[in-house]
Amino acid sequence: MHIIRILTFAALLLPGLSLAEMGTALKNDQVRAEPFSDAKVTGSIARNDKVEILSRKGAWLNIKTPKTKGWVRLLSVKRGSATSGTSASDVLGLASGRSGTGKVVATTGVRGLNEEDLKSAKFDESQVKTLEGYTQTAPQGQKFANRGGLKSARLEYLPAPAQSSTSISSSGSPLPGGAK
Amino acid sequence: MIKRTVPIILAALLGISAPALAFDLEGTLKDAIEKKVQSDGNAETAEKPATPSETEPAFNLKSPSQAEEIQLGRQITGNLLGAAPLVKDAALQKYVNEVGRWVASQSERPDLPWHFGVIESEDINAFAAPGGYVIITKGLYRKLENEAQLAGVLGHEIAHVVRKHHLRLLQKSQLLNLGAKLLGTKLGKGDDTVQKVIGNGAEILARGLDKDAEYEADRMGVILAARGGYEPFGLPEVLQSISETGNTSRVTLLYKTHPHPDDRLLRLGDAIGDRLDKVQGKTLSERFYRLKQ
Repeated sequence: MHIIRILTFAALLLPGLSLAEMGTALKNDQVRAEPFSDAKVTGSIARNDKVEILSRKGAWLNIKTPKTKGWVRLLSVKRGSATSGTSASDVLGLASGRSGTGKVVATTGVRGLNEEDLKSAKFDESQVKTLEGYTQTAPQGQKFANRGGLKSARLEYLPAPAQSSTSISSSGSPLPGGAK
Repeated sequence: MIKRTVPIILAALLGISAPALAFDLEGTLKDAIEKKVQSDGNAETAEKPATPSETEPAFNLKSPSQAEEIQLGRQITGNLLGAAPLVKDAALQKYVNEVGRWVASQSERPDLPWHFGVIESEDINAFAAPGGYVIITKGLYRKLENEAQLAGVLGHEIAHVVRKHHLRLLQKSQLLNLGAKLLGTKLGKGDDTVQKVIGNGAEILARGLDKDAEYEADRMGVILAARGGYEPFGLPEVLQSISETGNTSRVTLLYKTHPHPDDRLLRLGDAIGDRLDKVQGKTLSERFYRLKQ
């Protein structure tokens, strides 16, 4: 199960590689012919529509529904078929015996971390010292970034969206910067 | 009266290994404070220095210094670690500190001594405490598939520290009102004093911030990771993955203290729009440190 998930994810990162994974539309959005915001609109998806995820390219997902096929924004679709993110994956997890559900974890006695645990927690000086022992300095962080070929980029923080598309009514309106 | 009581308790505390006993003595200390607050309501009474820390400035929670902020965060984190210790894997801990340090360097508070850790818990959660303490659970780490995702998760927590979200929560609380009076009295920097301010154990971490603070931390986390040269969608990918996990006991606390991941994804999608279309970044999945178990 876990290997399948890793492969699925790897496939999503590789443009052009086709691997069917189900997803669910988080909001109403336009489907475009190409992964660009000014590409031709070829269709649309509605919130809660089931979609087949074919591939990913940057901020875009190539999807297919019974009605349409094309590219939508990555964050307009979530992986998995359950709209509320509940039962389906639980059932799968249990069926495959994967450790990843509450029930499996509970029976193996693996430690959780609930509200009561936090309230009754007692200070552990030696643990804090251990934690502090791993501290990296800014120059060490820079070296680590260099080793990975990471280059810092100038980017402004994202402004808070004026209006959320959480409600169906607001997401039903045409999107700004629409089709050409 | 109080002039005497408080230093005596303090001396007792200093004479013993403080952390464990601070809790047993907490009741006593609380009584002392309450009496004091009742009797004079004036913070100046007990200003006689009682410890070698007399030269230290009084703990001021209304506008704490960076050192005081760190002191609070250290106490909260020490309590959290008392509930769930660090994973005994030095390579793992070093790795998250390297990634975290680099991401934190992209923030407005690069000068904090940032600390990152992974704790033994199969819950899916992450925590930030004032002054630069960031902890993620092994359960959450297990969900990560590359360094960009780790950077996004740490970026979210770093944002909480940068915006002082938990500090504000403490400042708003009733406990603080009591604590501030006490802290105005130069009680020194004993752990008991700090503990007084943060309440029981690490309960502050179970209380949850308001939703807007979480959405803000999501927006900032994405950008902090992207500023570090990472692919910007690491954090939303993790939210996707958490949403897929379903509503198990492993996410009970996370769901209590955060908006549902689907709502976070929606908000993030709205905020991102086409803003990050041209941003290129690395996922570094080949360098990602994988857990042995």
